[in-house]
Amino acid sequence: MNQKKVLYLTVIFWLLIFSGFILYKEYTLRTGTEIILKTEPVDPRDLFRGDYVVLNYEISTLNLEEVQVEDPYFNYNDRIYLALEPENGYGVPKKIYKNPPDNELYIKGRVKEIIYDWEAYESNGMTEDPALKEIRVEYGIESYFVPEGKGIEIEHQQWTGREGGDVKVVIDKYGNAVIKSLLIDGKELKFKA
Amino acid sequence: MFDDDLIQKWLDEGTISDTQAEKMRIDIAEYKKEHKSKRQVIAFSTIGAILIGIGAILFVASNWEKIGDSFKVLLLVGSTIGIHYAGYHFKYENQRYPRLGSALILLSALFFGAGIFLIAQIYNINANNSTLVMLWIIGVFPLIYGYVSASVAGLCSLLFYLWIGLLYMERTDLENLISMKDLYLISGISIYFTGILHSIAEKLKHAEKTFKFLGLQAVLIALFVHTFEIWQYKVEIIVPLIYAILGILLLAVLFLKPLREKSRSLQADVSMPVIALLMAGITLTTIYVPDSYISAPVKFYMVLFNVIFLGLLTLLLYAGYNMEDIGIVNTAMFWFILLIFARYFDFFWELLPRSLFFMLGGLVLLVISIVLERKRRELKLQFSGGE
Repeated sequence: MNQKKVLYLTVIFWLLIFSGFILYKEYTLRTGTEIILKTEPVDPRDLFRGDYVVLNYEISTLNLEEVQVEDPYFNYNDRIYLALEPENGYGVPKKIYKNPPDNELYIKGRVKEIIYDWEAYESNGMTEDPALKEIRVEYGIESYFVPEGKGIEIEHQQWTGREGGDVKVVIDKYGNAVIKSLLIDGKELKFKA
Repeated sequence: MFDDDLIQKWLDEGTISDTQAEKMRIDIAEYKKEHKSKRQVIAFSTIGAILIGIGAILFVASNWEKIGDSFKVLLLVGSTIGIHYAGYHFKYENQRYPRLGSALILLSALFFGAGIFLIAQIYNINANNSTLVMLWIIGVFPLIYGYVSASVAGLCSLLFYLWIGLLYMERTDLENLISMKDLYLISGISIYFTGILHSIAEKLKHAEKTFKFLGLQAVLIALFVHTFEIWQYKVEIIVPLIYAILGILLLAVLFLKPLREKSRSLQADVSMPVIALLMAGITLTTIYVPDSYISAPVKFYMVLFNVIFLGLLTLLLYAGYNMEDIGIVNTAMFWFILLIFARYFDFFWELLPRSLFFMLGGLVLLVISIVLERKRRELKLQFSGGE
């Protein structure tokens, strides 16, 4: 192939990847519904993207006795769709689905841990299989990137804050979520100039 | 110098005249000077490109708040395209600086990765995400063939290892299927296999050595980790199956007639199916022969892997000398020394008085040097037509 063609094709291919990536996320941000999720941030570091806070949401651990479940059998890495009900701006878990529900606001996630009720199992004389107690779910919004050195500051603020940390996320109609901002004591954190 | 010896031999035999000998000496000296300077340019420009690339990635990682996100994206995407065009220009249009052009193409591949990580950072995509590395590989892989770039082949191999590691961390269920060291051993053999496949067609040959070199290093690292007395060795049935398939595929490709005839590194290449099939056998044994049948299984596997590792190094040394490939010899020597150090600290330290170990070690090295010297003399004799 002619080298000039290789150059053009590479540039077009790269621009498609960059813009596709941006458009995919912008679509969620521009068309989605805004919701607030409760969280507890801690601060580690990514090899390529620097400091970030790990966001552990209340909806990251779903108690199966408290949240309705369409089908109570889960395997590791199963795709789930968590229907959320907005209450005072906050997203409250309503029901866990195995398939995308109709006419409901839902967030897409993957089961990362299954926790069984060992206490009940032992008290029942270990006759039946242990029941599922909780599942840990990842939604792809567990990292919030901050300027170098600011992560520890946020962690500190969150510990001293009275109301703790919240995250404003935008969820599109397909259940994809993008973080919009981090809120400490209800105030949006701003870093950019 | 070897070339001088040869010229002198031809002079003594009367094959060439004094004037011809002098001309040959001047030409050889010039060729060597030119070759050395070419290698220096490649080394400096590649290191320069890597340093700038690392700088760009660190710039993204610092998440500098003084510049807005859109400006940062424009800056990085613009730089990626600009550097890529400059690389193309110097390599193909201007043609006066082809090595600089190749280095700039590598740099643009690094900038492309930095661009992906910048966008992922802006949209807070989860940290240590393997999909981003996969996207980076997909974006730069075609450059290996489009621009005949061995350095991008190296970058893709390293990214592949990184992707495997991140995927393994993301998918914790993989731990139940395969250990990290087996996964890297399989990956290394696969990359080496890719190198072998690249030796089949003339158009792909530029990437052969890079894939083989990086595949071999991963194989050696993974096998080296296997030589420690740390883990109980347990695997699932899928592991011996993968090793067996890889081994058979490698053998089938290696014994293809065109490859067998053309290959200059068949002896070293054969070590890969040997390792793959050996590992298939060992992993199968761990499944069907319970540990209770082996006294001290952890120690047993440690000794076994030490023997395999030593065997592989010996095979590589033999192949390296036979093929006169100093790269393979150096690799084998490096890992041989590392193995001696590792075993000294975790084995001989307790069993033998240190003085005895050093004496023994020295003796082994002396014997090796005698063998190598003899081998070198044989090679020289063979080359000059003597017996």
